[in-house]
Amino acid sequence: MDQNLAIIQIRNCLLVSIQAELHDRLALDLQESLMERVRAVDAKGVILDVSAVEIIDSYITRILNDIGKSVRFMGAECYIVGIRPAVAMTLIEMGVELDSVSTALNLDLALERLELLQ
Amino acid sequence: MRTVEDAIGAVLSGAISAITQRSIFNRLGGLARTPVAQLGATERQTILKELESSLRLFARSSSGELLAACVRALGETGAAASSPASSGAVSGGAGAPASAAAAPASKAVRKTFAVDQEKDIATARLEAWSEAVRIGLSKFTAVKVATAVSELARNIVFYAGKGTVELVASEDDRGPTLNIVASDQGPGIEPRKLEEIWSGTYKSQRGMGKGLLAVKKLTSDFHLETGAGKGTRVTCLFRGDR
Repeated sequence: MDQNLAIIQIRNCLLVSIQAELHDRLALDLQESLMERVRAVDAKGVILDVSAVEIIDSYITRILNDIGKSVRFMGAECYIVGIRPAVAMTLIEMGVELDSVSTALNLDLALERLELLQ
Repeated sequence: MRTVEDAIGAVLSGAISAITQRSIFNRLGGLARTPVAQLGATERQTILKELESSLRLFARSSSGELLAACVRALGETGAAASSPASSGAVSGGAGAPASAAAAPASKAVRKTFAVDQEKDIATARLEAWSEAVRIGLSKFTAVKVATAVSELARNIVFYAGKGTVELVASEDDRGPTLNIVASDQGPGIEPRKLEEIWSGTYKSQRGMGKGLLAVKKLTSDFHLETGAGKGTRVTCLFRGDR
């Protein structure tokens, strides 16, 4: 039933498009394999695309923050891209912070900020 | 007889190519050829769950709207009479649900979902979201409703093991309302922990420890009954303006 999340490399940046329901096991697997890949390819940044995610609750926020923290510990930058307007509004109202990651409107802008598109 | 494939096909045509539709129906297997009027609650849920993940993949930006349209096309659980798709089913006669006439009689529509594993969280969330859209809450409010149900269902699975989420759709003089009742017979929340939760200082092992506080901030009306050994019951209300 569970799809594994594919990690795609663009130059020295890693991209994951989150299409599946994130649960404990899958999130931990993703965190581990991302960290290994960051080290293996000397990644400058990690981008998590959540544009297909309709609902982000506090638990998913914790997962995203944890991934962001671990990526930052290794010296790479972590971007969340594609947060839907209604999701952003809901997170703000809930008082939940996405403070261990950077955000960008879309993939292009995240890549640009990681200076990959110049 | 109008089949699931007919009903969903009508919704998806124009938004998704015929080839992609075919692969979506293939994933549904035999269910795609089942007449809409004969669908049971479990089958309907299976179809919607499958459609949700398919639409995420194939119709990313508009998957929400399409899914809501699919929910409407498949009609109410056990009450196909409200769906325009089932108008032919009356003369067909085979297996028309007995409860069809019961739906319009009472104003409040109740739906209850058992929650005892992680996949139930997604189901409860999806049902809450489509229920919110059905009764006319705004798109943004529907996302809030789904998020609140997600938090509450997750609390049940993480801390109580099992429980139920009930959705009560109704209407008052100000417009449509959706009441969410999440209850369990779990260990309950101790007063000291509750203080930490409301002050935002509570940290949980598995989540953020901010779920309940988040739900409280999202709704206009929030009630919590809990106590050691008494289980937990959360009631919260969402309303749409007219």
